[in-house]
Amino acid sequence: MLCIAGYNLCKSYNDSNQNIQVLRDSTLEVNEGDLVCITGQSGCGKSTLLHILGLLDAPDSGRVVFGDREISSSFPEAPSIRNKELGFVFQFHYLVEDLTAKENVALPMIISGISSAKAQREASTLLGSLGLGSRLHSYPNQLSGGEQQRVSLARALINRPRIVLADEPTGNLDPEHSAEVWQMMQKLNKDRNQTFVIVTHDIESAKLANLTYNLAQGKLNLLS
Amino acid sequence: MDKLERFFFSRYLKSPKRNLLRFSFVFMTLGIVLSVGILSAGLNLFEGYERSLKEVLLGSFPHLTLQKSSGEYFGETETSLLVQQLTSHSEIDQITPAMNYSVMARNENKVRGANLTGYDFSGKYPVSYAKYIKQGKSTLHSGEIIVGSYLASELGKKLGDQLQVVYPRLDRISALGMFPAEFNFTIVGIYSSGFYESDRSMLISTVEDAQSMLNILPGFGKLEIHLDKEYIDQAADVAATLQGSLGSEYSVYPWTMFSAGLLRLVAMEKWLIFIIFCFLVLIAGINVISAVTTIILDKTNEIAVLKTLGSSSRSIKRMLSYQVGLVALAAIVAGQAFGALLSFIVEKQGLYKLKGDVYFIDSLTASISPLNQVIIFAVAASLVTLCIHYPLRQIDRMQIIELLRNQ
Repeated sequence: MLCIAGYNLCKSYNDSNQNIQVLRDSTLEVNEGDLVCITGQSGCGKSTLLHILGLLDAPDSGRVVFGDREISSSFPEAPSIRNKELGFVFQFHYLVEDLTAKENVALPMIISGISSAKAQREASTLLGSLGLGSRLHSYPNQLSGGEQQRVSLARALINRPRIVLADEPTGNLDPEHSAEVWQMMQKLNKDRNQTFVIVTHDIESAKLANLTYNLAQGKLNLLS
Repeated sequence: MDKLERFFFSRYLKSPKRNLLRFSFVFMTLGIVLSVGILSAGLNLFEGYERSLKEVLLGSFPHLTLQKSSGEYFGETETSLLVQQLTSHSEIDQITPAMNYSVMARNENKVRGANLTGYDFSGKYPVSYAKYIKQGKSTLHSGEIIVGSYLASELGKKLGDQLQVVYPRLDRISALGMFPAEFNFTIVGIYSSGFYESDRSMLISTVEDAQSMLNILPGFGKLEIHLDKEYIDQAADVAATLQGSLGSEYSVYPWTMFSAGLLRLVAMEKWLIFIIFCFLVLIAGINVISAVTTIILDKTNEIAVLKTLGSSSRSIKRMLSYQVGLVALAAIVAGQAFGALLSFIVEKQGLYKLKGDVYFIDSLTASISPLNQVIIFAVAASLVTLCIHYPLRQIDRMQIIELLRNQ
């Protein structure tokens, strides 16, 4: 069953009076339960593709279909879809420094209108299941890089989104912590049938996915 | 306040230190406290000045003055009848018949113009100036006189001294011209109301002495009428009512006819000072704009995350405005307290005194009016709110993708 798709996506940027075409008629379909990896060289447009699918950016042309409806970042319901149906993990954890791990994870639920107390209870349970039960009250600067990224993953999962979009989630981690995060995403994919689209330049890790694409010259090519 | 705003606000209330200790926050708070403090102190002192002046004016002068339209004196019987008739008016508190005229007070070569008022001390009529007698006694016998404090000081006279009072009488004409009547009085009291004009010219004697100086039959020149407190501001209306009941033979003059212009001028100055000092709050508002801009720059990361997670710009703006607003409101209240303290210090300080000949009264008094405090709070809060919301508008223009790219 189709979860999210981008059809004939084109996107270009102007840089120093030069027009750089990062996506050229690219098409990607992601089904429920897929773990999709997109690889490619730095600056090839992987993150741009992810941002377009995540309704954070708009393509110059092409369309994004979410489930059975076409959607765009400019639609009024886009913030609500980003909150409830999509989860985001970035290369830098982007945790709120003034909030504890538990409060950071609870944020998407509080934004969706659930009470802070209930959201924090849910967050505690989720962090416990991700092995961070002892770090609930730690602030981001008291956590290791791997722990920060796991908290970020928990925040992406708290609203039980249909799809998690991860942009270089291990790009900032050492090999040990990187493996830890990859294992966790694989486990969630298997155990909870959680759909992932992961952008990475780590070819070895990308082999763990059930679908791997390479983005080059603005075009997506299926690798495996 | 939605759940997210409430969550961040309660979180902020639990540990506000991180924000409060920001450099820009400290200066924002200081700016508001100082500007509101100065605004508040200025208004408190002007309010105090206005009240003191009004109090002294109404204490020194009668609220209504009744005279014969022809300028003649009241006979004793007529005075009694008039007092009896006027006492039936509930607005009137006290009626004092008096004789009043201009004289010269002399001490050797020093001569000053003065205003001699003669009262009846037989106990038949009340007199109301006793509270202003700072030295000596307030009840007089023949040959005794009370002198205004500035007049006494200018003439170099003190209690117990003799004072020569000169009145140019038309019936004392010699071959060399008009010959003035001269009387010697013993100073038994010093009058000090705080109102320079009175203290500079006041002389009080018995009505009998005044009559013999003028060489007239027993009688009075005017009736000084004091109203009940609640009717003082309606003196003009009460005067019109009395005028109507007494007819054209008498003229009734309210205090507003002589002093209201001065009080209106002071009130206008007070509000002009208020408007000028409001600009100080506006200048402090620039610190608020700077502090909010710094917070936005500092929290760009947070704003990007919240927008990515589905929070609206409106909600983020309100979240930040509650945090800054709370500090700003606390600073305004602290500023008002600082203003009260400042005005108290100015009132109690002994270094600078008002010059009575310039400012009418010679003491600085602060008065904290609740209405003024509400106005200061409302104006300062409105200006600060504007200054908080102005920079917050940039959150609307922040694109998530730009924020993420710039990290």
